[in-house]
Amino acid sequence: MLLLGISVTMSRNDNGREFMKLARWTAGLLAGLSMLAVAAQADAGEVRVTVAEYSSKTGPYFEEVKKEFEAANPGTTLKFEVVPWDVLLQKLTTDITAGTNADLSIIGTRWLIDFVQQDVAEPLDSYMTPDFKGRFIETFLSPSIMEGKTYGLPIAASARAMYYNKELFEKAGIANPPGTWTELQEDARKIKAAGAFGYGIQGKEIETDVYYYYGMWSFGTEILNKDGTSGLSTPGALEAAKLYKSMIDEGLTQPGVTSMNREDVMALFKQGKVGMMITAPFMMNQIKEEAPSLKYGVAAIPAGPTGARGTYGVTDSIIMFKNSKNKEEAWKLLDFLFSTEQRAKFTQNEGLLPVNKEEAKMDYYTKDAGLAAFTALLPEARFAPVIPGWEEIAQITSDAVQKIYLGQGEPEATLKDAAAKANGVLKK
Amino acid sequence: MHNRALPYLLILPSLFLAAVVIFWPVYDLVQISTHDVSRFGQLRDFIGLANFAALADDPDFMAALWRTGLWTLSVVAGALVLSIPVAMILNSDFYGRSVARVIILLPWAVSLTMTAVVWRWALNGESGMLNSALMGLGLIDQNIQWLASAGTAFPMQVLIGILVTVPFTVTIFLGGLSSIPDDLYEAAALEGASAWQQFRTITLPLLKPFINIAIVLNMIYVFNSFPIIWVMTQGGPANSTDILVTYLYKLAFRVGKLGEASAVSLVMFAILLIFTMIYVRLAMREREA
Repeated sequence: MLLLGISVTMSRNDNGREFMKLARWTAGLLAGLSMLAVAAQADAGEVRVTVAEYSSKTGPYFEEVKKEFEAANPGTTLKFEVVPWDVLLQKLTTDITAGTNADLSIIGTRWLIDFVQQDVAEPLDSYMTPDFKGRFIETFLSPSIMEGKTYGLPIAASARAMYYNKELFEKAGIANPPGTWTELQEDARKIKAAGAFGYGIQGKEIETDVYYYYGMWSFGTEILNKDGTSGLSTPGALEAAKLYKSMIDEGLTQPGVTSMNREDVMALFKQGKVGMMITAPFMMNQIKEEAPSLKYGVAAIPAGPTGARGTYGVTDSIIMFKNSKNKEEAWKLLDFLFSTEQRAKFTQNEGLLPVNKEEAKMDYYTKDAGLAAFTALLPEARFAPVIPGWEEIAQITSDAVQKIYLGQGEPEATLKDAAAKANGVLKK
Repeated sequence: MHNRALPYLLILPSLFLAAVVIFWPVYDLVQISTHDVSRFGQLRDFIGLANFAALADDPDFMAALWRTGLWTLSVVAGALVLSIPVAMILNSDFYGRSVARVIILLPWAVSLTMTAVVWRWALNGESGMLNSALMGLGLIDQNIQWLASAGTAFPMQVLIGILVTVPFTVTIFLGGLSSIPDDLYEAAALEGASAWQQFRTITLPLLKPFINIAIVLNMIYVFNSFPIIWVMTQGGPANSTDILVTYLYKLAFRVGKLGEASAVSLVMFAILLIFTMIYVRLAMREREA
């Protein structure tokens, strides 16, 4: 707009009167622009929040929050930007680069280290009273604490457990869900004989690596060895890869593993085509709505030969940006969001796990067999390691795992190669 | 004197605007690609061509580079071959021609991303429409996992690429065909020229400038086309369907290597620039000859 104004002026400068008119017009335009620029800056008392879209209920929930909070705090206005998970990191990257980020944002806790290192996240300890800190369950707050400072609050928490289809189990003559991977393999064979897919494996897009870690953890390998190098070159990692590959080759999984993302496998489970799969608690809500007649159970993740097992714990954090101009108001909003009542509403809407101690005592969580199974797994939960470059290592692992599933690489050589690449990232 | 300066003066505003729109981002990309950059775009040390060297060492980048060439050539060539007969049919007079034109051009109005999403559903191995259609016709007796490996996924992506490129190409050709005067054909027919001879000696030569335009524009669009491959496979499994744009997106926004990603986009810019210059040169020389 500004450029246009100037160029029009330049091309007509042979006519004095015309020029004056244009100059005035340009000045007016400039004034208008500067007013716009002012308006774009945060008004006093406006708190902007970037919110990840967990489901179609996320937007309406935050609309409610806006109404309630603004009524209780006159003078403060809230502005929520609901962004799909897929593009959230990209939006934040662009916003931060341009300096137009919101005051608060939900982020994946695994990204937090980057935000802290780049010095864009505000430590929250000075705002937190002991009483406030006491509201949280330790396990879920600790991933957001770095170098002794709390940089984020766990707005969402989740873990993974194994779902199994009770009808298919009955048809195949299986009494109980498998406790070990060997049993899972046998059960998968029986389910295959009964005409369904035994064990659903996710092989595409986000969390492809995690689906492989379930096996790896059971064989006693961690993502990072004790010395801080990648665990992918250890025997446990190889065992897990061979196990999954042999199940794919034997036809115990759904076909086309590398074309199925998490939602695709979940869809197959909801259609009753898959006997077992590992995924998040929110599938219970989805089954309630989309396939209410499906008979299913939730069990622990199978154990390895030594009895080791691990589930994947995930938290998302809400952080405050260092360049926020309304930190006091933003904190008030956080205090409001983490009240027991608000937490319960959000968590139950989205089918997540409670992060708040008082909330966890509610009947909703203790009386539900499925949710209880998830909560029981929490002591064995592994969180994504808090290291810079984690996303790159996850990508390297996903790529390696896909190659193995497709048979494009020998498991041992492929994993060694991936471990070397991951170690290269870790050294930086 | 005044007269000679006037044209330049008149194009100056748009030239200035174009320069700002084009050169500023390129300058910015050069800055980012020659520096050590944080995930949020803060420039740190100047590191020269290290980002470009890292790309040259990256087998995934080299594979994506070749695949981009294959992708661009097959989609553009396929769309061209398909569009000429389609345009000629739509140019001839028949009952319901306007309806047929609308049907051919309609896919153009649908967002590319939406088209890709629909195809992703259609190609789903277990519940996809394509598999059930092929089953129903008795052509296959087992579901094909279209997107599970590059061997089936990439050819399908090329086909879809062709499909969505056809409407635009047909539009260009329709414009070209309507500029060919009918009396040429009438004269040729009187001389006893067959339909094929008419096509080869009248239609094709007169359509040539339009074909040239279609090639250059489609090359640029297809080379930079992101949605089809991203929506269907995200360049996977294991980077086996990546083209440069999808690879660039992953580098920048998944892994957070903005420096290398900027280097990729400069490489893409250079390739397109060189291609366009060579092609325009060739096309011009032909016309002069």
